[in-house]
Amino acid sequence: MNCEVCQLKELELEHFEVREVLRCVLHTIFFHRALGLVRPKDVDLELFDITYVQCGDLDLDKKIEEKIDQFIDRVEKHPNKKNQICLSFYEVKNKQGTWFPKKLERLYWEQWYINLNMVQQLKAHSSKSHHSKVVVDPGESAVEETSIRRAALEASLREVLFQIIEFVNEKKDHVPPIPNLDGISFPYEITIPGSSDSAFGMDMFKRMLQTGHPTMLS
Amino acid sequence: MDLQGNVHGEYGRFEQIVSQFLSKSLHIILDSRVPSVHQNGHNLLSGTSVKKSDKWFSLKLGDRPASLDNLNLWHRNLMEPMIIDIVLVQEVPDSSSVNYPTTTLGLGKYVETVIERWVIQYEYIRTVFPHVVESSSSYKKTYKKSIILLRSLYAMMRLLPAYRPFRKLCSSTQASDFDINYKVSSFSAPFSREEEELMKPYNFASVDAPQGRLSISVTYRENLSCFNLDTSIAYPPQIITDYVGSPATDPFRAFPSSEKGFRATSFSLRGGQSPSSTPFQRPHSWTSGLHRMSMQPHGGSPPVHRTSTIPYESSSPPTDIYGHRIQNYRSSTHHKTNSFDEHQLSPPFSPSPSPSPPTYLSGGNPVKAHRHSETAPMSIPHPMMGRSPRYLSPNLSDPNRHSLPPLSPKSTKLDPSSQDSTSGIRLPRRSESLRGGEFHSGMSNLFSGQKVLRDSKDDSGRFSGLLSSSDSPRIGFSRSSSKLSFQDDFDDLDFSGPFIVDDVDTSDSPVRFQNLDGKRSSEFTSQAFSTRKSQDAAVGALVHMLRTAPPLRQDSSCYSSHSSKTELEGEVGAASSGFFLPRKASDALEELRGYKDMKDLLLSKSGTQVVRKEEV
Repeated sequence: MNCEVCQLKELELEHFEVREVLRCVLHTIFFHRALGLVRPKDVDLELFDITYVQCGDLDLDKKIEEKIDQFIDRVEKHPNKKNQICLSFYEVKNKQGTWFPKKLERLYWEQWYINLNMVQQLKAHSSKSHHSKVVVDPGESAVEETSIRRAALEASLREVLFQIIEFVNEKKDHVPPIPNLDGISFPYEITIPGSSDSAFGMDMFKRMLQTGHPTMLS
Repeated sequence: MDLQGNVHGEYGRFEQIVSQFLSKSLHIILDSRVPSVHQNGHNLLSGTSVKKSDKWFSLKLGDRPASLDNLNLWHRNLMEPMIIDIVLVQEVPDSSSVNYPTTTLGLGKYVETVIERWVIQYEYIRTVFPHVVESSSSYKKTYKKSIILLRSLYAMMRLLPAYRPFRKLCSSTQASDFDINYKVSSFSAPFSREEEELMKPYNFASVDAPQGRLSISVTYRENLSCFNLDTSIAYPPQIITDYVGSPATDPFRAFPSSEKGFRATSFSLRGGQSPSSTPFQRPHSWTSGLHRMSMQPHGGSPPVHRTSTIPYESSSPPTDIYGHRIQNYRSSTHHKTNSFDEHQLSPPFSPSPSPSPPTYLSGGNPVKAHRHSETAPMSIPHPMMGRSPRYLSPNLSDPNRHSLPPLSPKSTKLDPSSQDSTSGIRLPRRSESLRGGEFHSGMSNLFSGQKVLRDSKDDSGRFSGLLSSSDSPRIGFSRSSSKLSFQDDFDDLDFSGPFIVDDVDTSDSPVRFQNLDGKRSSEFTSQAFSTRKSQDAAVGALVHMLRTAPPLRQDSSCYSSHSSKTELEGEVGAASSGFFLPRKASDALEELRGYKDMKDLLLSKSGTQVVRKEEV
């Protein structure tokens, strides 16, 4: 079974928009992957005129919020412009290894990469704090620029949601049989690539092994 | 034979999947586009256990409205496509001079435009060598993929442009100039060229099924701006009816007169969250409600109030493929479109022209109610000189004060004094009005007055505590703290004090007071402005005053000390008269005189009794 990877369109956003945008994207993906019995819940974004759907699973909500918090912390500590958050779905397989009698192995069958580009509000005299939103010079041009940027972000977010729906529709064959008819149904993992510099390479290496990259010997 | 039986069994299962797939798709589409279907379904949703039929495709949507079930019965041939047209119905002015009274707004005619066309079908693909045995795993795969397909259908319904007008219709109870209808058929007239140019197609990836595939496609209008629908649903106005201290919730304030004219208007929550959602997860209901009301777009629906209703056509007969007509179920009692302009705070003591209990959407009620809600719904125990504690409660700020509940027979004697928020209670009223006016400058007068009081009444240790709390710069009255402090104190108080006029028959004074009441009831319907902090202080001061009032049986020496106190209060009141209209001070003084008279009467009666006893 191959691993389908979806690189979502990059979103340019400010720090205070991260939470809502991530919630929207993650929940939309989960809604399409939580194939157990759900009661859908419509949620309106506050910053944008977009409604997305949640599964209504409280555990999932909690985990998503935790991951978003982690992501925001990381963004604050490493104010790089581009950041990524990865949502992976996997199957747990027992693998008989030669060295270890039994080993639980994760077979990733789908990975979503949410790409975020943090931008700072353009100010005339600004400090380097990337998450401060105070507009020192609230001229008309700054306000216009903000509204243009906001509209562009809304359009991009809508595109990302369409992209998710399209991906989910087109690729259905790789989805494994539903193991659990309640809630999320598939085990998943949300990671922030590069969260630890030393483990970054190992993380990628492990994932490549597990997904059985064709160039790697399994 | 077994094999064939198996095949038939499997095919029967597959037919069931297809049939349920069509039903579920129909339900999803209509639930996300037609307000009546959505509301009926959600009314049934709450509090009911999940039906087996609702578990299909792992998507709980609630009970299907009867109209959908009828449509399902009609659509028996699984091979035929199911075409669902989502129709936008707008009332537009007619060029002819003839009025069309049957139209809702009487403007003219209805114009129907198909804004979305959904085609759901099972496409049968005849294969040369059909599979003899369809394994159950293929049905499972089909079922799994159908689940995913319906999930994406559900999500897509919220991303397409037609979702916004639907949300507007759902959230607004005011009359709109448009409505959304639906039409289900197995064939449809193709779009004209002009229409096609405005429409955009989207095809969901089909799901492979035995001998065919399940497919969903849509053709939708990308741009709905030409219809001039104000579909901004950001922060729709929300009227909260069960706010703290509302007539609906506070048993002390179940006023029949207010209920007559009052009509709770509840807008559906934004995002359901519900509330709640909400969602909500929302800030305090009042602030958000206020905020939302102030943000209500005025240009949304035309300021025409629908009073007639167009008959509702149900779609129960299978051949009747139209849904309901315009659902203009909007009550006319609460769509005053200019109401939100009036939520400027009226001056504290400005007279109101009308004594009628204001509805929630007129006369700036939301703000008043906002103010009201900020005051603690204290309940002061009853036997306080017959003055109902209700009037000392935060109801003082309520414009419905005139329509306070009829007092018990015990307390009717002092009705008018209580009803007047500014004059009923002597010192506390003044202190309240002081605070209502200039805050800082009034405070010094207030403090001096209160300090004198406190000094003169040393036995009221409890109340001095109350007063001292009121002396803090913020008067010390947050919502909860004041409530708690007062309630604690009042629980301990023994109100079998002297001024329980419940048992005393004073036939003259009640009549007089009721006349006064009649006069004053019309004067303060729009008073929105008593400050909550001063009310608490007022209550405390009142309690103190009553507590320290001399008993009825005492001689006139105590009475004179009390009257000197009241004179002092009069001075304080006079000093503060500059902060509000002179009329209020005079009213207060008048009230004071009334009380004095009553007290004189009582004392005289008790005095005669004492004299008689002494004689005996």
